[in-house]
Amino acid sequence: MKQRILWSAVLVAGLALAGCGSATRPTTSASDSEKVAKLVVWDWKSGEETAAAYIQKAKADFAKKHPGVAVEFVAQPFDQYYTLLGAAIQASKGPDVMLFNGGGQIRDRVAALLPLDQYVAEDKERLAGWDAFSQDGKIYAAPVTLQGHPIYYNKTLYEKAGLDPAGPAKTWQDLVRDCGAIKKATGARCFALGNKEGFGIQFFLSGLGSGVLTPQEYDDWIAGKRDWNSPNVKRLFALWKEAESSGLNNDGANSTALFNDAFAVVQSGKAAHIIGLMSDIGHWKDFGEFLGADKVGVMAAPVVTDGATPSLPYDGGIGYAVAKWTKDPRLAADLVRSLTTTDALNSFYSDAGAIASDTTIDVSKAAPAVGTIVSQIKSGKPALHVALSSKTLDLMGRLSQKLLSGSATVDEVVKQLAASDKAG
Amino acid sequence: MGAGARRASLGARFERHAPYVLVAPAVLIIVALRLWPLLLGVNFSFTGDGERNGSAVGFDNYLELLQDPLFQGSLRNVGLLVLLLPLAVAIPGMLATFIYLRVPGHRVFRSVYFFPAVLSPVIVGAIFNLMLAFDGPLNALLGTVGVGPVDWLGDPDVAMFTVVGVQIWATFGMALVVFLAGFASLDATLLDAARVDGASLARTIWHVIIPSLSRTIQFVFVTTMIGMLTSMFGLLYVMTSGGPEGSTYLPEYYIWIQQGQMNRPALASAASTVLFVIMLVVGLLQISVLRRTGGRT
Repeated sequence: MKQRILWSAVLVAGLALAGCGSATRPTTSASDSEKVAKLVVWDWKSGEETAAAYIQKAKADFAKKHPGVAVEFVAQPFDQYYTLLGAAIQASKGPDVMLFNGGGQIRDRVAALLPLDQYVAEDKERLAGWDAFSQDGKIYAAPVTLQGHPIYYNKTLYEKAGLDPAGPAKTWQDLVRDCGAIKKATGARCFALGNKEGFGIQFFLSGLGSGVLTPQEYDDWIAGKRDWNSPNVKRLFALWKEAESSGLNNDGANSTALFNDAFAVVQSGKAAHIIGLMSDIGHWKDFGEFLGADKVGVMAAPVVTDGATPSLPYDGGIGYAVAKWTKDPRLAADLVRSLTTTDALNSFYSDAGAIASDTTIDVSKAAPAVGTIVSQIKSGKPALHVALSSKTLDLMGRLSQKLLSGSATVDEVVKQLAASDKAG
Repeated sequence: MGAGARRASLGARFERHAPYVLVAPAVLIIVALRLWPLLLGVNFSFTGDGERNGSAVGFDNYLELLQDPLFQGSLRNVGLLVLLLPLAVAIPGMLATFIYLRVPGHRVFRSVYFFPAVLSPVIVGAIFNLMLAFDGPLNALLGTVGVGPVDWLGDPDVAMFTVVGVQIWATFGMALVVFLAGFASLDATLLDAARVDGASLARTIWHVIIPSLSRTIQFVFVTTMIGMLTSMFGLLYVMTSGGPEGSTYLPEYYIWIQQGQMNRPALASAASTVLFVIMLVVGLLQISVLRRTGGRT
């Protein structure tokens, strides 16, 4: 009896100790601090088949410069990416190099990142889209793709309605008139709109903004001097409401997901236009597969107010950044540079269907829509919504749904947005 | 003799300490993996985000929560869930009654009703996204009988009820099984007596079945409440993303958005603490209810 108690006590104590042991953190070995043998990269791209050649080329380039340093790519699910990254940042422990979306997502987290200015100086001319990865004059990531919001249109529907597919409308009035003709001839709506996640307003704001704001207002907006009470800003939100109430959008926009139900509306020919993306998804390549590559047109923002100059809204799309806690910043920065060589980015552009950040890539053999987009990059400007904080964007998403359903007025909306924008 | 006594006292000492040693693993695991992180989380909720990261900010996060209309909305939705709870219990209860009373085809229904319970919320959400789309099959069906299309997931006054409806559809199978198990212990002679007396179906249910199943009903109330408060994230994420106009936010979803999308981990911790307190109160109330009924029977 006593024997049994003794043994069970020993067993239990042993188990308890083992349990504690597994709960404690593994100790780091001393060799880590002496020489870095491995860099860890977090992203949501490297697992995709279309990015395989890109990753391969970047790895090869890095291996040439730093033989003996292993690189491990950890592909995280995009849904969870910033949640996981948030936990890593909180612990100041995690990947050395990580992928970011430009704009709010990286700006909210620059405190955990290393300024890269001194390392990427040579690439500044060759690559475009740096602004989306910069904060207070410092660069925090090197752009891989450009992301923007061209207005795509279905040339087949234009032909059916007796319109010139090569000469889309230049003003809002003409666009509304053309859309009337398209609806009459084919039954298709003017715009495919998905605003279930509140993303539709972001695309609308950026896609049509340059046709509403004057160039001065536009530049001020990007520079952070946003006058939410100006007539033209209000006009933009009024236009959003007007497009819905006059039946230009597909039905049920507030319950249609932009990704990917709204894209499907355009792909199935049920709407003639969509404010889409340049890279990754919902772009020329996606639409071309359904409508035919030469039937996808790209038009400039229609002019709504006098004095507006349409320009392509785009920013750096995704880019690689270096964590502040990395042991050898130069080594990690070199990996970022290997991830943005012309050779690697060329693979990314041709396989993944992205407009790469490298301005020296030849696109003359690509679909006509790509040629139109690339030709507008020089005169393009940062997108309006990218300049806003994620908190303001979240609020704008909800308020835009209220505008569509008619439960808020434009004045109420801009007032709330101004307050949120001011609070930072 | 002396050695024997020593051994006996040693044994007695072990005997005295054995209970503590035996519960030690469970206590250690609960303390190290539950209570300690909980305390860290509560402590973290009193620190700031962003520029104020790491510094103590007192009750700032809680004040911000109280003033955030989105968080207020999510708490209101918790209240709505509590109000809809009787419905979520009544539906499986009624269906189980019909199966017990052997309506034609009751065997088929028994398995069909349980089927949704094995589907993951993501799949359920995706199915209903298609069904309830503005130009989807349900609205097409309504159109044929002349009822105008309803924006099930796009109308802020309707969306929360739609999601709760789908949640009930997806989970009532489990409650149904519990009810059927309860029926197994029902005294059949009571039903026969009621039938002989010529009681109608409604009277049989009200005067015989419900009183006999009171403990089962209470158990289903408790488990359904916990299920609704803790496992609707998947459906919300897939079906509405908290929208439209933020009308389908629940505290869980709010926490996830603040932590993952807004980079506000400390505010998310504060919201988690509030949710924890709510769950604690609900849990304690339920325990007291169970204990009271336990004492009665």
